[in-house]
Amino acid sequence: MGMNNPVPLDTVDDILRPSADANPLLDRGMVTTSLDALLNWARTGSMWPMTFGLACCAVEMMQAGAARYDLDRFGVIFRPSPRQSDVMIVAGTLTNKMAPAFRKVYDQMPNPKWVISMGSCANGGGYYHYAYSVTRGCDRVVPVDVYVPGCPPTAEALIYGILQLQAKVRRESTIAR
Amino acid sequence: MSDTTKAISELFSNRFGDRVVFRSLENGIASIDVEVDAWLEVCRALRDEEDFSYEQLTDLCGVDYLSYGQSEWETEDVSNEGFGRGVEGFGPGRFNWAERPEAVDVKQRFGIVVHLLSFRHNRRLRLRCYAPDEGMPIVPSLVEIWSSANWYERETFDLFGVVFEGHPDLRRILTDYGFTGHPFRKDFPLIGNVAVRYDSLKKRVVYEPVEIEPRVGVPRVLRDDSRYNTDELDQAADVAAEKEAAEAAPLDEQEN
Repeated sequence: MGMNNPVPLDTVDDILRPSADANPLLDRGMVTTSLDALLNWARTGSMWPMTFGLACCAVEMMQAGAARYDLDRFGVIFRPSPRQSDVMIVAGTLTNKMAPAFRKVYDQMPNPKWVISMGSCANGGGYYHYAYSVTRGCDRVVPVDVYVPGCPPTAEALIYGILQLQAKVRRESTIAR
Repeated sequence: MSDTTKAISELFSNRFGDRVVFRSLENGIASIDVEVDAWLEVCRALRDEEDFSYEQLTDLCGVDYLSYGQSEWETEDVSNEGFGRGVEGFGPGRFNWAERPEAVDVKQRFGIVVHLLSFRHNRRLRLRCYAPDEGMPIVPSLVEIWSSANWYERETFDLFGVVFEGHPDLRRILTDYGFTGHPFRKDFPLIGNVAVRYDSLKKRVVYEPVEIEPRVGVPRVLRDDSRYNTDELDQAADVAAEKEAAEAAPLDEQEN
């Protein structure tokens, strides 16, 4: 199996504004871009997730971070503190007892922040939807950007979810509104 | 009763007499029932005496015998809709908190099961005792005999509501802060009574009455699937296909 670095998708990844072939300044050794493109390039290139493994999904999340899939390639580096995090990967079953702590951790993250809900339990309670102790979806507690389905989702699915979140972040504009 | 079983049975009956009842010997583990009044005394003897020397308590849990033996699962009568399980009526877990049934008077409703391990004899033992009062089940605590019983008894108290007399710190251990009820009791609704959500006005997570209905999962038995065409049209198609195949078959034989 050939493991390659991710192929650049298309001009969306290219932060040059205007694009390279329409920019005569490029020939003279200068680069122009828009501030939004630059910000999004920086944000998507270093999405540091808050480590929030709650159940078996966390094992797949670890697998995504380990040698074979190696989330470091995407600039995804797990942080032990919400203060240093951009994105929270809710990996596992969120219980009622955990929910206030979960919200507190989310509130401690600096803006801009995103949430990936990983697995059936975090998406909507999943197997424990009718149980007495489980929150029926982490979107009852925090706003969620990307839902990754699966029980648990594979490491590939989580990486795809992170790439989807990157695509979402690229469409945001901070300066031009 | 085999010789081994008889020997082990007599070992307990000779020592403890009427206070214990030998139940079974399965997979090399003897099961005995102990009178709740003799619970501490028997356990202490099982730990200290040379013949037993069960040094370690490996497990302690509760059992709720409410509706024990009453099967909702009529497995003889199977349709393609599933087992003939009565979806109406009050079964365990099948009701809202407000409509929960009153616990009926069941003799010996709550059991406490303890697993012991003897290193010296490489032997295991299963003990059971019943809480005498169903309304307020109280059983003496084993913490002073085996300290490992501490969190197990807290867990059993939390989930079954069995009170362990003499426990040094009998608090809830698993369920949510301020939880009401004992979720492993058969008359506790599976769906619970509260659900959480974040209230953006109050800026905190709030508890609300549970908003969904309890659901009974009826397991399906698939005796038919798409491979078995019961529809008349499909049958007609099958007949046509068979006819076609019958015509094609002689050709195949010729080729062979």
